[in-house]
Amino acid sequence: MADTAAHKRFAEVFAPHLVDAYRLARWLTGSRADADDIVQEASLRAFRGIAGFSGTNPRAWALTIVRNAAYSWLTRNRPAAVVLADDLGAEERDRIANLPSTREAGGNDPEAALIAADAAEEVRRHVAALPAPFAEVLVLREIHELSYNEIAAMLDVPVGTVMSRLARARRILLERSGP
Amino acid sequence: MIDDREERDMLLNAYFDGELDAVAARDFEARLRAEPDLAADLRRLKRLRSRLRSDIAEDVPPAALRREIARRYASPPWLRPQAWQSLAATLLVGIVIGGAGTFGALSPRPADTTVDQVVAGHIRALMAPSPADVASSDHHTVKPWFDGKVAFAPQVIELASAGFPLVGGRVDVVGLEPVPAMVYRAGKHLISLIEMPSDSTAAATVTRRMDRGYETVSWTDNRITYWAVSDASDEEMQAFVKALRAAIGPS
Repeated sequence: MADTAAHKRFAEVFAPHLVDAYRLARWLTGSRADADDIVQEASLRAFRGIAGFSGTNPRAWALTIVRNAAYSWLTRNRPAAVVLADDLGAEERDRIANLPSTREAGGNDPEAALIAADAAEEVRRHVAALPAPFAEVLVLREIHELSYNEIAAMLDVPVGTVMSRLARARRILLERSGP
Repeated sequence: MIDDREERDMLLNAYFDGELDAVAARDFEARLRAEPDLAADLRRLKRLRSRLRSDIAEDVPPAALRREIARRYASPPWLRPQAWQSLAATLLVGIVIGGAGTFGALSPRPADTTVDQVVAGHIRALMAPSPADVASSDHHTVKPWFDGKVAFAPQVIELASAGFPLVGGRVDVVGLEPVPAMVYRAGKHLISLIEMPSDSTAAATVTRRMDRGYETVSWTDNRITYWAVSDASDEEMQAFVKALRAAIGPS
């Protein structure tokens, strides 16, 4: 009976936010296939933890689970993208700002050039190439349209950190993808 | 740590995101008018946002993923294909019915056009003088009747021993294709069973939908998609689908 209640609860709390979940995972990894894996993993975690959900904001709860699942995935598959420092110092910032853009990296590959012609696809790749702490703030703001306060609560960081990461994420993207 | 450039940027971003209070926003707008560089940066942020959101409408989880998650986590156990074989599933059926109504409303819906046409065919049949165009409880009579009427030979399965006598068969039209429909009796109700060839080799996924008192259960086995539709009770539908899938055999 408890199992049935969990299924019902999952359908009410997590399932309605699958589009949000998939978007967050896809933007953070830049890949549909990887987003698939992350959403599967997040769903399992949500199902297991569903009894513990007693909040009033199922969407934020769902997004937090997806974000954590995405971090686990990134830690396993792209450890360099996950910067664990509370915030990045000036040195780190310069290094990130000077990373080769994915467009430059694929400049000699005709297929990559074709793909780059698709502006939407290109901007996705630029976002996925950002360090995860920058990418997630940007995606939660631009794609999920969360407020600074909501993002700060979800990530458990001060609003000031959200503001500085968001500003930097946008600056890097503008530098890479042109005006 | 925070230099002037950074402070300017954070203020610009906060203004752009509507996060400044009224006074701060008014002050910032005055600055925008005085500083063309700042105004140009604001326009760049707007362009970046529109690029980021340009294909958001197509940015949705694939149907297969939605179905998979609904099947694993949002469905009561009796709807899960791998559970059909186990005795445990049979025992659970009675327990789970209470919660099943909620699930029906939340499960991902198959393409509306198909399910609507399947339900429409059933409703039409109920209003016709006879729900079946060939009326027979013998599959040897019903099966050959479909020759030349539909594009493939349907399986016609007798389920009288499970309590669902065959009433006959008819041809429904789904997506402009004639498709075979078998009619079974379930107590005082009729169940229409439509079979359509499918190119899907995906594992059987059972979806279920309630609409205006008609319940539709759909799944795919061995490259055939089945649609069962009826106003019979939940229990009868479950028993019917279970008996039918047992008769068809494992995929």
